[in-house]
Amino acid sequence: MQYQSQAVAKPYFIAAIGLFVGQILFGLIMGLQYVMGDFLFPAIPFNVARMVHTNLLIVWLLFGFMGAAYYIIPEESEHELFSPKLALLMFWIFLVAGAATIVGYLMVPYAALAKYTFNDLWPTMGREFLEQPLPTKLGIVVVALAMLFNITMTALKGRKTSISIVLLMGLWGLAVFFLFSFYNPSNLVLDKYFWWWTVHLWVEGVWELILGALLAFVLIKVTGVDREIIEKWLYLIIAMTLITGIVGMGHHYFWIGTPEYWQWFGSVFSALEPIPFFMMTVFAFNMVNRRRREHPNKAATLWALGTGVMSFLGAGVWGFLHTLAPVNFYTHGTQITAAHGHMAFYGAYVMVVLTIISYAMPMMRGRAANSEKSQVLEMWSFWMMTVSIVFITLFLTAAGILQVWLQRVSTTPLGFMAAQDQITLFYWMREFTGLIFLTGLVLYIISFFVGGESKEAA
Amino acid sequence: MSTQTLTLDSHKAGTPPGDLAIWFFIFAELLAFGIFFLSYAFARAHNVELFNESQQHLNRESGAVNTVVLITSSYFVVRAVAAIREGLSRQCAHWLAGAIGLGGVFLVIKLFEFHAKFSAGISLSTNTFYMFYLSLTIFHFMHVILGMVILAAVMLKARRGGYSAEHHTGVETGASYWHMVDLLWIILFPLVYVIR
Amino acid sequence: MSQAFTKSMARNIFFGGSTFFFLLLVALTFDTMQVLPKRDHRENITPAVERGKMVWEKNNCIGCHTLLGEGAYYAPELGNVYARRGGGDFIKAWIKSRPAEGTPGNRRQMPQFNLTDQELDDMVAFLKWTGEINTAKWPPNIEG
Repeated sequence: MQYQSQAVAKPYFIAAIGLFVGQILFGLIMGLQYVMGDFLFPAIPFNVARMVHTNLLIVWLLFGFMGAAYYIIPEESEHELFSPKLALLMFWIFLVAGAATIVGYLMVPYAALAKYTFNDLWPTMGREFLEQPLPTKLGIVVVALAMLFNITMTALKGRKTSISIVLLMGLWGLAVFFLFSFYNPSNLVLDKYFWWWTVHLWVEGVWELILGALLAFVLIKVTGVDREIIEKWLYLIIAMTLITGIVGMGHHYFWIGTPEYWQWFGSVFSALEPIPFFMMTVFAFNMVNRRRREHPNKAATLWALGTGVMSFLGAGVWGFLHTLAPVNFYTHGTQITAAHGHMAFYGAYVMVVLTIISYAMPMMRGRAANSEKSQVLEMWSFWMMTVSIVFITLFLTAAGILQVWLQRVSTTPLGFMAAQDQITLFYWMREFTGLIFLTGLVLYIISFFVGGESKEAA
Repeated sequence: MSTQTLTLDSHKAGTPPGDLAIWFFIFAELLAFGIFFLSYAFARAHNVELFNESQQHLNRESGAVNTVVLITSSYFVVRAVAAIREGLSRQCAHWLAGAIGLGGVFLVIKLFEFHAKFSAGISLSTNTFYMFYLSLTIFHFMHVILGMVILAAVMLKARRGGYSAEHHTGVETGASYWHMVDLLWIILFPLVYVIR
Repeated sequence: MSQAFTKSMARNIFFGGSTFFFLLLVALTFDTMQVLPKRDHRENITPAVERGKMVWEKNNCIGCHTLLGEGAYYAPELGNVYARRGGGDFIKAWIKSRPAEGTPGNRRQMPQFNLTDQELDDMVAFLKWTGEINTAKWPPNIEG
């Protein structure tokens, strides 16, 4: 660690991992509710469990991104963070707001929560992924703006690198497009149209700038390849991402009441969306093969390579599977979508946050890399979680294909629940694989506490 | 023509002119247009009559004039590259200005065409043919504007003497992009206006 | 002349390309906004439909169901439920009759939301209006 203030990233990363555990536990609850419908009913109905599962994911990824920004920006700018105190204050505000929101979801019926949090004054709740009460949404804006102020001031005072510019653009974009979550017209079609301006332009737009910047930063550090080379590829990859991804938003506008030309625009541009992910995979492997040093942190390198491969598979391949309008006509809103969502989120965003944590945490604990023993355990957790998510995706894909066949393609279509009853086997296998994922996650956490001889920080 | 042999001579086999990065961009653009063209063919095969009928209403004369305009502008760009290879910055800038001017002519003719269509109440949602016609031509129209912006940036730098006989990657980069814009129109025009 | 691949060119393509395609998105959005009134039949959005959307949101229905294919995949699609169940009476009776402690057996459970008669009527109005949106013939059949 080159600058003292980078250490503010540590609580962010710890909180991220803690919430990650919560996310997986609620995922397991939902997985069980798929096959044992009365599990934990009426204490935790499915809709509540799902809200907690997805919101925890978003919040912990945001913790990860913010921690990464606080770690990377000072090092890139060659300047101490503008205000470490502000960063720490924002950490506690975000943690308390996030925790209060989750407790609210679990303790109070959602309609009551809406009433207590002034949803009637400005209704924004009850839309997928944006279920947060108004005060939480405002809190997210405040925390994001304070962070942006903090890191932008830092970057302005110091060296301006491509990585910090891309990271700042990604984070600013994140804040700007979140503002669409405050727009909730009573016309459902308009509501859905602009809901995607937050959701799609986050995950297939500005978040990918953050992802690219984080990956590029770690690759420079662990491979020692010339910054010029890595940064020009970074620009080219994110250029491809936005060129294909912005109008690729059309793949969400096939069946929600929007004009039918979106079927063409959405299909054409999202068919190209795998290209930047493929470039990212090739890029990551190329840089590691051209490495000019043997960095002792093998685990971080593994996570970085894994991000390339899994984001290509999850976002690229599984996205392409159902993105063409004639295919999507049958698969829209089925387990196929769930399969894609799981692998894409894990492969792109979970893994890139774990990559930066894997690289930065040992640094913040005063060493270049963890002990051999600790790294071996971390790599075991890498493989357990990654292989689990692959199988979860495959089982959900199988479930989805059957669902589509029974409920939508067949000449004598089954009703939704009748079709679901036919595919319980795959849901059981998914739940079992989820337990292996949890085991991998537990190993991951244990790896932080495994001692042994470690290399001193350079 | 001497300019063309010059283009071929001054390059080692296997390396495209200009910055490699623009070729990634060109590749992505060609793919997007390529899939759009294929989709057009696919949609037409399912609805030949509608396509043939609607095609009658397009203004083929203005399309043909625009083809000549763009090809000429591409020739001007070739002359600009040839000029800078001789180190002639002023001539290079002049040829580029000519190409940009022709790009402007293209846009004006196109605007008349669009105006006629829009006044007739035609929009993206009129039918599948017009969806493709408007999408492809407007998408291409935006590319012409982008190409003109790029050429203008190159021209300004050339006028300031920013390129030389040895270092003129920027000119070749801009020229490559402009040729792509021209090429796309050469495919688009017969495909959408003529072939039936 | 050697082959060049410069960071400044890659950066220009990033800024130029993303601006260009964002403008294309804005242009398409502009056109979409012109066309939408014909497809969403907004003239039929009565105060009851508006209130119904609020009831839908306040009870987090999207946490289990899909609406026009978006939402959770735990429970049936509701965009066409008005047509599937032949009107609002079934919908109201179904929502009202969910036991608070759950139905016996390990089938999937829907909570009892304790909606008022007014809220039930509003919900039906909202689902009826939603069913009339022109969704390009989606879903493939009445089962959603």
